[in-house]
Amino acid sequence: MRIALAILVIAAACFANLKFSPHHTGNSVFETLYMHLMPAPLVTDNHAPHDEQELLLAVPLPGFLSFMDIGGHEGDHGAEAHPQTALFNLQIFQVAAVLLVLVCFSGVPRYLRTGKGDQLTRLFAGFCMWVRDEMVYPVMGAKDGTRFLPFFLSMFFFILFMNLMGLVPGSATPTASIFVTLALAAVTLFSMVAGGMISQGPIKFWLNLVPHVPLPLWPLLFVVEVLGLFVKPFALTIRLFANMSGGHMVVLSFMGLIFFFPTLWGTAGGWAASPLGAGFATFIMIIEVFVAMVQAFIFTQLSVIFIHQSIHPEH
Amino acid sequence: MPFQAETVEASMSLAKAGAGIGAGIVAIGAGLGISRIGAAANESIARQPEATGDIRGSSIILAAFIEGVSLFAVVVTLLIAIG
Repeated sequence: MRIALAILVIAAACFANLKFSPHHTGNSVFETLYMHLMPAPLVTDNHAPHDEQELLLAVPLPGFLSFMDIGGHEGDHGAEAHPQTALFNLQIFQVAAVLLVLVCFSGVPRYLRTGKGDQLTRLFAGFCMWVRDEMVYPVMGAKDGTRFLPFFLSMFFFILFMNLMGLVPGSATPTASIFVTLALAAVTLFSMVAGGMISQGPIKFWLNLVPHVPLPLWPLLFVVEVLGLFVKPFALTIRLFANMSGGHMVVLSFMGLIFFFPTLWGTAGGWAASPLGAGFATFIMIIEVFVAMVQAFIFTQLSVIFIHQSIHPEH
Repeated sequence: MPFQAETVEASMSLAKAGAGIGAGIVAIGAGLGISRIGAAANESIARQPEATGDIRGSSIILAAFIEGVSLFAVVVTLLIAIG
């Protein structure tokens, strides 16, 4: 029952993505393929030419958010275009990931209490135990770990589902967009700063950033440590974004070779290139499944370590 | 001014060549770093097989740090190649 529901969520998300994403045309086949990595605003008619498409859902923005304007939508009145943002295809899959978390974990508490549950529930209950016993408790200890566990569980499975859904045909990967990973890392940064300021006191947290050093060195090290505080989540951002989009880019390059060789050597070149291209792309896809899981693990594990470091300074 | 346009074009292609070379150097550096971690992890697993789980976990995390630094470089080269 839950398995069917989970498959339905994924299929509905892919269907909505295929139906409402605009079709891409670039100058070359590689450019066209790489355009699928970019977040695309959803449109009502995805077969229409690019300048006639209407946004499926446009949200007007207040003036101070005008830097988030998606652009390219001058109004008919000739007046200055109002800043607006739109529903992007990535949001479909973010919502789908949340729904998947709800579907997969709705039975887990009952299973842990009574020992009754279907296959999906048992699988994810085991996953939960693994996250708790192998990732959170060894670093944070049971006391702080229990407090932060819900946050890390939701972060891990949200990222995992987004990564894995990005491999389904007809889907888009939210984590292959730097904006999504930046937002995820901003949550980690907020937890680091807020958790540290709550556990150590608002002033003492900033003072404790710097280890015991001679006084003249203190200002310099303070700057370095504050910079380090922001570099850590930024590295998380870049790591997740580059891993997810890099794999897709390699797959799309192999796919592009199939369409590129016919322009050099005619149809025979295309036929010769397709088994090679498809084979290598399949191989990369297998690696990508592994990478998708490892990156969810690493993002969460490093968040655990960073947050633990900032709520418990080393001295 | 055809001369200027040619110079700009040549410098763009030089920049793209630089991006390619940079990506290659990044791969060398990341490969060296991760291979050192892998070698050390395998040696310590062979020496102490009962600590396999801990060693594997920490080596994945350390590899992720190296990967993070090399991905910074990759993003820089990507910006050069696109821009």
